[in-house]
Amino acid sequence: MSSVSLRGVVKRYGSVTALDTVDLDVASGELVALLGPSGCGKTTLLRTVAGLERHDAGRVAIDDEDLSSVPTRSRPIGMVFQSYALFPNLTVRQNIAFPLEVRGRPAAEVRRRVDEMLDLCHLGIQADRYPNQISGGQAQRCALGRALAASPKVLLLDEPLSALDALVRVRLRDEIRRVQQQVRITTLYVTHDQAEAMAIADRVAVMNHGRIEQLDHPAAIYDDPSTPFSAAFVGSRNAVPVVVRDGEVRIGPARLPAPVGTAGTDRLVAYFRPEEVELSDDPEDLPVRVELVVFLGPVTRLHLDAELDGGPVRFHLDLPSRQAAAHPVGSLRRIRIDPSLVRLFPAATEVHP
Amino acid sequence: MSTAGRRILLGAIVVYLILPLVAVFLYSVATVWQSRILPDGYTLEHYVAVAVDPRVQGAVLRSLALAVLVTLIDIAIVVPAVFWARVRNPRIRPIIEVGAAIPFALPWVVIAFGIDRLVGEWAPSWQTTFPVLVLAQSAIAFPFFYWAVDGAMAATGIARLTEAAETCGARPIQILRRIVLPIIRTGVATGTVLVFAVSFGEFALARILVGSSYDTLPLWQAQALLRTDDQLNELAVTTVLSFLVLFALAAWLVARGRSSGASLAAGAQVGTPTEAPR
Ligand SMILES: Nc1ncnc2c1ncn2[C@@H]1O[C@H](COP(=O)(O)OP(=O)(O)O)[C@@H](O)[C@H]1O
Ligand SMILES: [Mg+2]
Repeated sequence: MSSVSLRGVVKRYGSVTALDTVDLDVASGELVALLGPSGCGKTTLLRTVAGLERHDAGRVAIDDEDLSSVPTRSRPIGMVFQSYALFPNLTVRQNIAFPLEVRGRPAAEVRRRVDEMLDLCHLGIQADRYPNQISGGQAQRCALGRALAASPKVLLLDEPLSALDALVRVRLRDEIRRVQQQVRITTLYVTHDQAEAMAIADRVAVMNHGRIEQLDHPAAIYDDPSTPFSAAFVGSRNAVPVVVRDGEVRIGPARLPAPVGTAGTDRLVAYFRPEEVELSDDPEDLPVRVELVVFLGPVTRLHLDAELDGGPVRFHLDLPSRQAAAHPVGSLRRIRIDPSLVRLFPAATEVHP
Repeated sequence: MSTAGRRILLGAIVVYLILPLVAVFLYSVATVWQSRILPDGYTLEHYVAVAVDPRVQGAVLRSLALAVLVTLIDIAIVVPAVFWARVRNPRIRPIIEVGAAIPFALPWVVIAFGIDRLVGEWAPSWQTTFPVLVLAQSAIAFPFFYWAVDGAMAATGIARLTEAAETCGARPIQILRRIVLPIIRTGVATGTVLVFAVSFGEFALARILVGSSYDTLPLWQAQALLRTDDQLNELAVTTVLSFLVLFALAAWLVARGRSSGASLAAGAQVGTPTEAPR
């Protein structure tokens, strides 16, 4: 049974279509990350599920109950806002107790449940502090505790880590995942950070212009993007313009059969990842010149210029950093690409995220 | 500016503000005060005279009642209205803002005549009655409340907190009581002092709406000024008293704001976020 279900959901703001017939099913206990660039409609989708926005068409349901006429306060959801939105006049403990108190739960139950949440979110020491007395990471966990306190069916998180610095972010990401799995709660997690989405999600929904472009497991999205947008947005791919000739596409000596439905001289874009480009000694392979060397930690990225029949092209190639010293700027090398790792899409829809 | 210069300026301002108050107070306890710098003698008899004068009693009670009622009415109407305009329907804000600008744009005398004509036409039996005065005063004093409360709501991002409270399952009345009101307390306090003071000391509106049917304190004071029988000391007494009332109200609100805000304010210093999240 699917826990959250969206069918043909449309949301417009004037002439802007923020959600364009979105279909999405999230299984019970599953964490789905909504991944996409700023303005693609992630927040709108989340707010529609929360009932903070009214959708113009389609159906939003939780456990098969249509929520269209259910106000936010009666929906079985908990939400963590991008800026946390903790109540500044209440302590951490009171913030977490709030959803229980407004629902009229007995005092003893409230106390027990709040203690449970403080424990779950590792907030015991900060329980009696006010929001302006705790760090960003603690505020984040307090918001999580508040969202979970009343045992909702669905947890909604809107870029919960975007306000934190990089070090804390990774730790809290894993923390959120731990809590989510411990509670086994169905979760929609909004982020514009693909690494975050890959790391935390059971499935990732790649969004663009108010649509879900691809919905799949992280590894599948990484290895096999189904649209040029997914290809460009997930992982940092080479996007090389190519032309169909005699029913095939050539990148140097690499030959790929042209995709079904393309004709001679169609312009395409070939997507492949920097770590899939190899240096080679074979004189048959494509000659390149090293233009830039960028140290990225474990790997170093070489920017390589080459001539294809379409004109000058820049490739990115990732090497283990220890091997990079052998390829200084200006050196001439040859590269090879495994045709089976290349994805071809029509050029008209090429995307630069 | 040099420190000395600043001190002199500050001192001049204090003298400018305090001197009239001191003079009024001295006059209220003076037996005779004519040709010297200080009064010839001191007495409390003016205070006694005021306390036993039924006209003054009535005027003071009416002004107090007026100020209290107007303040309560404005709190009850303006806070939910601003909340609604900020959170639910921003499109009604321009309308409220025009309404809140009218009492500043038109002379109150003109507004008062308008209200008097209106009441005379539609409900003649209500003319000069106290309820009409209360309602009219509520209408012209509400902008003071509006601007104070609206500012407080804008500063604290009430709209976002309201959404958060809704996702927590709270009903609008719970959101107002548990979240909004505590957060905008300072704005409400500011508005309360302003509206109370304006209503307590308002003259033009009362003069026109009430005529000579009964007194409010400012009406009595104005008459005392015009009369020839020596009531100027009593006038000083009532001035001192109304100053004390407003001062006490302001001090009480400030003190209340301090004590309940103390934990928050102190926290800003204690709570340097040092612990890293686990
Ligand atoms: N309240 C609003 N009024 C008008 N346009 C809005 C509103 N909220 C969002 N939008 C528009 O809808 C689109 C999607 O916004 P949003 O869901 O916030 O994107 P994301 O969260 O992915 O960055 C954007 O083009 C944005 O400008
Ligand atoms: Mg967003």
